Amino acid sequence: MSTFLNRLREHFTDVLHIWRHEMVKVIKDEGVLMFLVVVPLGYPLLYSWIYNNETLHETPVAVVDQSHSALSRQFIHDCDATPDVHVKYYAEDLDEARSLVSRQLVRGIYLIPSDFAELVNRGEQATVSVYCDMSLMLAYKAVYQTAVVEAGRLGAGLNIKKAGNYTKREDAITAQPLVVEGVTMYNPSGGYGSCVLPAVLMLILQQAIALGIGMAAGTARERHRNGQLIPDDDPHYRGAYRIVWGKALCYGMIGAVAAAYLSMAVPAMFSFPQLATGWNLFWMLLPYTLASVFFGLTVSCLVRYRENVMLLMVFVSVPLLFMTGVSWPQSSIPGYWQGVSWLFPSTFGVRAFIRVNSMGASISQVLPEIRILWIQAAVYLGMACLVYRHQFRLARKWAGK
Amino acid sequence: MKYFSRILDIALRELGILWRNRIYGFCMIVFPLLLVVFFTTMLDEGIPQDLPIGVVDQDNSATSRGLIRNLDAMQNSRVVYRFANVTEARCAMQEGKVYAYLYIPEGTAAKLLAGRQPQISFYYTMTCMTAGSMASKDMKTIGMLGSMAVGRAKLSAKGASSRQIRAALQPVSIDAHMIANPQSSYNYSLTTVFVPGILMLFMALLSAYSLGMEMKFDTGKEWLARADGNIVVAILGKYLIHALVFLLVIFLYQYYIFEVLDFPRLGGVWKIVRLSLLQVAGSLGFGIFAFGLMPSLRMSMSISSLWFVLSISMCGSAFPVAGMDAPLQAMSWLFPLRHYWMLYQATVLNGFPVIDVWFHFVALIAFTLLPWFVLRKVKNAMLNYVYIP
Repeated sequence: MSTFLNRLREHFTDVLHIWRHEMVKVIKDEGVLMFLVVVPLGYPLLYSWIYNNETLHETPVAVVDQSHSALSRQFIHDCDATPDVHVKYYAEDLDEARSLVSRQLVRGIYLIPSDFAELVNRGEQATVSVYCDMSLMLAYKAVYQTAVVEAGRLGAGLNIKKAGNYTKREDAITAQPLVVEGVTMYNPSGGYGSCVLPAVLMLILQQAIALGIGMAAGTARERHRNGQLIPDDDPHYRGAYRIVWGKALCYGMIGAVAAAYLSMAVPAMFSFPQLATGWNLFWMLLPYTLASVFFGLTVSCLVRYRENVMLLMVFVSVPLLFMTGVSWPQSSIPGYWQGVSWLFPSTFGVRAFIRVNSMGASISQVLPEIRILWIQAAVYLGMACLVYRHQFRLARKWAGK
Repeated sequence: MKYFSRILDIALRELGILWRNRIYGFCMIVFPLLLVVFFTTMLDEGIPQDLPIGVVDQDNSATSRGLIRNLDAMQNSRVVYRFANVTEARCAMQEGKVYAYLYIPEGTAAKLLAGRQPQISFYYTMTCMTAGSMASKDMKTIGMLGSMAVGRAKLSAKGASSRQIRAALQPVSIDAHMIANPQSSYNYSLTTVFVPGILMLFMALLSAYSLGMEMKFDTGKEWLARADGNIVVAILGKYLIHALVFLLVIFLYQYYIFEVLDFPRLGGVWKIVRLSLLQVAGSLGFGIFAFGLMPSLRMSMSISSLWFVLSISMCGSAFPVAGMDAPLQAMSWLFPLRHYWMLYQATVLNGFPVIDVWFHFVALIAFTLLPWFVLRKVKNAMLNYVYIP
C-alpha cells in the first residue's frame, strides 16, 4: 500500500514540477507570451472596436430625377429621411451617376423616369429603377430595401387618398389589411459586431491556446540537443502521462483566465448581447477549454519548427470561423465540410457559446454540443497521451545513443 | 549584365531552398489551392437556400395554411417544424433548430375577412445575419402577399383587369439592377476577398520567414556573398522566385473562378493581371519591411500574421470602412488588403477606370517600396545578428 502511495506522490510531484517548468517557459518566451497573453487580451478589443458601430447608416446614393414632379421629390425626400440612405448627389443622367459610383462617392443610384408622376396619376404602375453597387452586401441591402419600403409607403399613401375613407382607422386598414410585425431576436439592433464577435472570441481562445502550446513545443525541440520534444536532462520528465498532465495544468490555467476574460469581460466592455448566467457559461467553457488544450497538445507534436505551427493555425482560422455557421448558415454548409468541422473544438464551442451567451439558452438546450465537446476533450486527451508516449520513447532512444 | 547573372544565381539558389523546405510547397501551393476549393464549395449555393423555419399556426384556417404553403415555397425558406405555441418555437430557436418562426394567432382569417386588421408576427434571430436577414425577407414578402390577397379578391370581383389590379395594389414598383452580381451571390463577394486575403497573408509571412530562416541557419552571409554584398540584388533575386510562384497560383485561382465557375467581372484580363502584380509585390514588400523592422524570425512573422488576419476585417468587404470609427478609417490605409480589395471591386468587378481609385493603386506601390527603408538593417542583421531560439 505504501509503495502505491509513494508512487502516487512521486507522480504528483512530477506533474507539479512540469507544470511549474512549463509556466516559467511560457513567461520567459516572448513569442509564446505574445500568443497566449497579448493575442487573447488585445485582439478581441481591436475586433470589438472595428465592429463597434454595428450597423451601417446613411449609405450615400445618387438620384437621377427625370420626372421633376412633386411625387418624385416626395419619394427622394422620403428615402433621404430614412436612417439607412443619404441622398448625396443629384445627377443629370445615368452616366453622370455612374461616374459617381466609379469614384466611390455613392453606393447606388435611384433613377426616376420622366413618366413617373404621369403614370401614377393615370392610375398605372410606375417604376423606379435602382442600380446597386454589389461589392458591399450591407450597402446593397440598405439601398435596395429602403427603396422598396419607401415605394410601398408612397403607394399606400396614394391608395388612401383614392379610397375616400372617413376615419383614420379605415385609412390604416386600406393601407395594410393584414399587419405583419417583424421581431428581431437575440441581436435586436441586427448589428454586425454582436453577430460575429461572440464567434471570433471563442475562436481566438482555441487558436491562442493551440498556437501557444505549439510554439512552446517548437522551442523545446529547438533547444534540445537531439531536436526532441521531451527534455532528457530533467529527471521529472519520466513518463508520458505526467508530462501531458503537467502541461495541461499549465495551459488549462492560462486558458481558464483567457476564457473568463473573453466570455465575460469583453462582451461587457462593448455591451454585446449577454444573456448567460455564470454557471451556464462555466459548464460550456469547461469542456471547450479542455478540448482546446488537448487539441493543442496533440497538434504540438506534429511541429518540427516553432514557426510552422503559426503558418498552420493562421491558415485554418478563417475556414474554422466559416465552419461554425455564424457567417454562413449551418444548414447551408455542405455535408463533407460539416464532417471536417467535427474535428475542431471551435465548431461546437462557438455554437454553444452563441446559444448560451447571445440567445440565453440553458445548458440542457445545448447538450448535444456540450456532449461533443466532452467527447472531443476525451479523444484528444487520449491522442495527446499516445503521441507523447511516442515522443517519450523517441527521446529515450536518442538519449540512449 | 553583372547584376543580371547574380540575380539569376540567387534566384536559382532560392529555388533550391523552396524545393527542399516542404513548408514553402505547402504554403505557396497546397494551402492556397485548398482554400480555393474550400470557399468555392462552401459557398456553392450562392445564397442560403431552404433555411429551416418553424410556424405557430393557432388559426388553422385556409388562409393561414395558404400563407404557410407560400412561405414553404419561397426559395430561401423551408417550413420544417410546426409548433403548438410560441414558447416551443422560441426553445427550438435557442436549440438552433430554426432560424425564424411565423406566428399566426387565432382569428386571423376571420378578422381579415371582416376588415378588422389582424396582426401576424415573425420572429427571426440575427445571431447568424445571413440566415436571419434571408428568412425575414421571405416572411416580409409573405405578409405583403397576404395583405394584397384581400385587395386582389375585392378588385377582381369588381371586374378589374390584372394590370389594373397590379397598379392599384402597388402604384410604385421597384426595378432592381444588381450590377455585376445579379444573383446577389455570397460566393462572388466572399470568395473573392478571403482567398486573395489569405494568399497575401502567406506572401507576407513567407517573405519574413525566408529572411528569418537565412538568419536562423546562418546562411545569410553566403546569400549576400553571392550578391557581392549588394542587398538590392540579393533581395531581388530571392523574391523573384517567390513572386513567380505566387503569381502562378493566383492566375490559376483566377482562371478557375472566372473561366470555370463564371464569376462575374466587368473588367478585362489586363486589369486582373495588373492587380495581381500589385498584390504580390505589395505583400512581399510588407513582409520584408516587417522583418527589417524587427529582424527576428518569430517577431516579424507574428507581426505579419496578426496584421494580415486583422486586414480581413479591416479591408471593409463585410463591414464597410465608412461605418467604422474615424481612427480606424485612417488606419485602414495601412492594410495592403484594403487597397487590393478597393482596386478589385472598382476595376475588376465593376470595370471602372483605375484613375478613379488611383490612391489605392499608389498605396500598393508604396507597400512594394517599403523595404527600401530597411535594406541596411536587413543586411546588418544577416551579417551580424545571431539567432536565438
